[in-house]
Amino acid sequence: MRTRVVVGVLVAVVAAAACGRRVGCTGEYCGTLVIAAPGEPDILLPPASDDARAAAVFDQVFVKLADLGPSGNTIGDAGFVPELAEKWEWDNPRTLTFHLNAAARWHDGRPVRAEDVAFTFDVNTDPAVNSPARASLARVRRVTTRDSLTVVFHFSEAYPEMFYDAVHHLRILPAHLLRTVPRDQFRTAAIGRAPVGAGCYRFVEWRAGQSLELAADSTCFLGRPHIRRLVWRFTPDPTVAVTQLLAGEADVFEYLSPPDLERVRTAGDLVTYPYAGPYYTFLVFNLRTRGDTTLPHPLFADREIRRALTLATDRQQMVQSVFAGLAKVPPGPMPLLWATWDSTLRVLPFDSAAAGRLLGARGWRDHDGDGVRDKDGQKLGFELLTPTTSVIRRQYARLLQEQFRRVGVAVEITEVDNNVMTQRLETGNFDAALMSRIADPSPTSSVALVWLAGGGSNYSHYDNPVFAEAYARATGATTRQASMYGWRAVFQQLIDDAPGIWLYSQQSVAAMHRRVADVRLRPDAPYALARTWRIPPDRLIDRDRVERR
Amino acid sequence: MTAWLLRRLAASVAIVFAVLTLTFVLIHLAPGTPFLPSTDDRSVGPEIIARLRRQYGLDRPLPVQYLKYIGSVAHGEFGESFSQHRPVAQALADAVPNTVLLGIAALVIEFTLGIALGAYQAARARRRVDAALSHLTLFFYSVPTFWLGLALLLVFGQWLRWLPVGGVSDPIVHDTLPWAGRVFDTLRHLVLPACTLGLVGAAGTARYQRAAMLEVIHQDYIRTARAKGLSERRVLLRHALRNAVLPVITLLGLSLPFLLTGAVLVETVFSWPGMGKLAADAIFSRDYPVVTAAAILAAAMVALSSVVADLLTALADPRVRLGDGDAA
Repeated sequence: MRTRVVVGVLVAVVAAAACGRRVGCTGEYCGTLVIAAPGEPDILLPPASDDARAAAVFDQVFVKLADLGPSGNTIGDAGFVPELAEKWEWDNPRTLTFHLNAAARWHDGRPVRAEDVAFTFDVNTDPAVNSPARASLARVRRVTTRDSLTVVFHFSEAYPEMFYDAVHHLRILPAHLLRTVPRDQFRTAAIGRAPVGAGCYRFVEWRAGQSLELAADSTCFLGRPHIRRLVWRFTPDPTVAVTQLLAGEADVFEYLSPPDLERVRTAGDLVTYPYAGPYYTFLVFNLRTRGDTTLPHPLFADREIRRALTLATDRQQMVQSVFAGLAKVPPGPMPLLWATWDSTLRVLPFDSAAAGRLLGARGWRDHDGDGVRDKDGQKLGFELLTPTTSVIRRQYARLLQEQFRRVGVAVEITEVDNNVMTQRLETGNFDAALMSRIADPSPTSSVALVWLAGGGSNYSHYDNPVFAEAYARATGATTRQASMYGWRAVFQQLIDDAPGIWLYSQQSVAAMHRRVADVRLRPDAPYALARTWRIPPDRLIDRDRVERR
Repeated sequence: MTAWLLRRLAASVAIVFAVLTLTFVLIHLAPGTPFLPSTDDRSVGPEIIARLRRQYGLDRPLPVQYLKYIGSVAHGEFGESFSQHRPVAQALADAVPNTVLLGIAALVIEFTLGIALGAYQAARARRRVDAALSHLTLFFYSVPTFWLGLALLLVFGQWLRWLPVGGVSDPIVHDTLPWAGRVFDTLRHLVLPACTLGLVGAAGTARYQRAAMLEVIHQDYIRTARAKGLSERRVLLRHALRNAVLPVITLLGLSLPFLLTGAVLVETVFSWPGMGKLAADAIFSRDYPVVTAAAILAAAMVALSSVVADLLTALADPRVRLGDGDAA
């Protein structure tokens, strides 16, 4: 009798579960896109986060005045697409006026006004907030409002990327909701976990560690999105994220590794979308003594030693064996994303014989026949730092160790967690390290950050006035052609000085379910155009039709 | 009994305090620093890190920080997470129910399956079925938890599509279901992670149970029970198993720490947002308040479960008198 009751209850539960779904939506605007996300955003307030995972959500919830167009041009205003600003004009070379779209509304129903733009600028330039956009806005003197729909940017000087700086980094914030939040508490503001923006998707729910959901704003002033629900499923392990995709539980995964790409290729209902990746990886030499940044490094302060090690590296072979076509050897420190990628730059080729000769000429010879070069009783060797979390960089460390061994250089690999690695880089407590960078669409900020003296991530302590002048010329160029010419000189100088060995720039590949149509991925922000994607009515599946309670 | 319970609880508080102190000191002395980005492809300026350290009081001497932290914990305050930008209590409140649910489910699988298998093997000792089950349990006992998890995901999630691939619930339909449907949805998501944790534990428990049962089966009172004409089933279940299960109950208390540590990998593989994952992420990002609070909570759970295990032993074995010297 008891068994029957238990079975009866179980059957009832199963029946209730099966019948409980309310299946309703049909038509053009029913799609639900499930994104398998390999991590969770830190906070959903643009000035308080520099997180790429948060940026994917910002692209949907918040709007910019204008955004990059398909060309990816960052010089002048050509090719930029209007968003909150329906048009703009230059009052003079240093004054830029935006006219806002009167139809734009915050998700709480209030209209978006010029004072919101001025407030956003104020927040992003406030040191207490420490916005990642602050450095890019350094040459914007002030932002004023002319009327409720007109906002004026006053620059301290005219320069080629001034329009890009004004629009690309500023996601407009609701002044009426944030004005009362103390600036030094932006990172913990409650609105950062339930954001209110003016984008085409409004925030619905964030279940910590599980999922984040946005719903389409059918009245969006930029046009009604076709896909009505965007759901990020947080899946810390990328392999499991791809398994979700293959099992039909997710629709898209934006960043496939080479082994995962093989798995996806065998699945008939998935399509892959390659796009130029924003990542590049290199071996950085510390040009100062390990742990004492005031003294030159005993090995790497010597440009010829750095060049010799570059010559000893067969980068092409490493890329082929590790990436199977999903990466390229960059001519300099640049991702595939940048228009400045220039295959005609004079690079240091793989030539281990030349490397050996160069090291010998600097006095490094194998006097005792143990396979390692030495000079004045000192062995030629160094420590190579790499993060434990990157399988590819750990693999590269071993390949490099073997290639350097062949020219008589002993490398000791030290694997540390990301946090320790960053701390050691920051304090100069390393000889060489395998570093990866994610770049903005423009090289201006990235190059300054990593290679200019005083740059926040210039861990090599590279400091060459010739390079700095070339950089100033490149960023001051007023035409696209002059800019390209200027960047060529910048990168050539870096290649010649070899403060690093440029190892690989990855090709990003997203995988998406076939039912998603009109997919366009912008390399710097894959989901930026998600509002234009659609799932045609004949390709809807159960989860597309489910109505929220 | 009351005195015993009070003594054990006082000892538990002391253990938790010791864990708090050790964790606090070790995490602060560990290399690395909070407020750095989770990946090394972005950077935060040293002046910003210095400002954040000041803001959170990390620029003060360690003993001062420790005393301040003790004061906060005494008032039920665990501080604010450096990486999640929200109160630690909130982060724990999200994670603990998931870990408790997973832990209980895994314990149920571990002990029901382990005891049943062990008893069955002992009843058929040295037969083919016993040998086969011994090999099988040894296999599961040797398998790394994450490997088993991935294998189960591949078979039941990707190939057969019987069970969901990770998560606590279906983010699309869960809220649209009636309560029974939501329970069923959660159970479906629980099956694979609980089985992964539970199967590995069950394999160990089965081996313990088999050995304990074999020892009991040859006792005089079992021979007497058989001589009285009781059925073999009754002899095994009522007389042998009740005594043979006692050492396994002690295992219950010892299993909890392993469930918590094993949960880190299982929670990662199955995207199960529990305490293990929370603590591991916090360690990597040097999120001191979360690490310390998670350690306090884990220590408290282990200490309490040990007390519960002793109580269970006393319940199962009338010879055990709590309070007369050692408990069990």
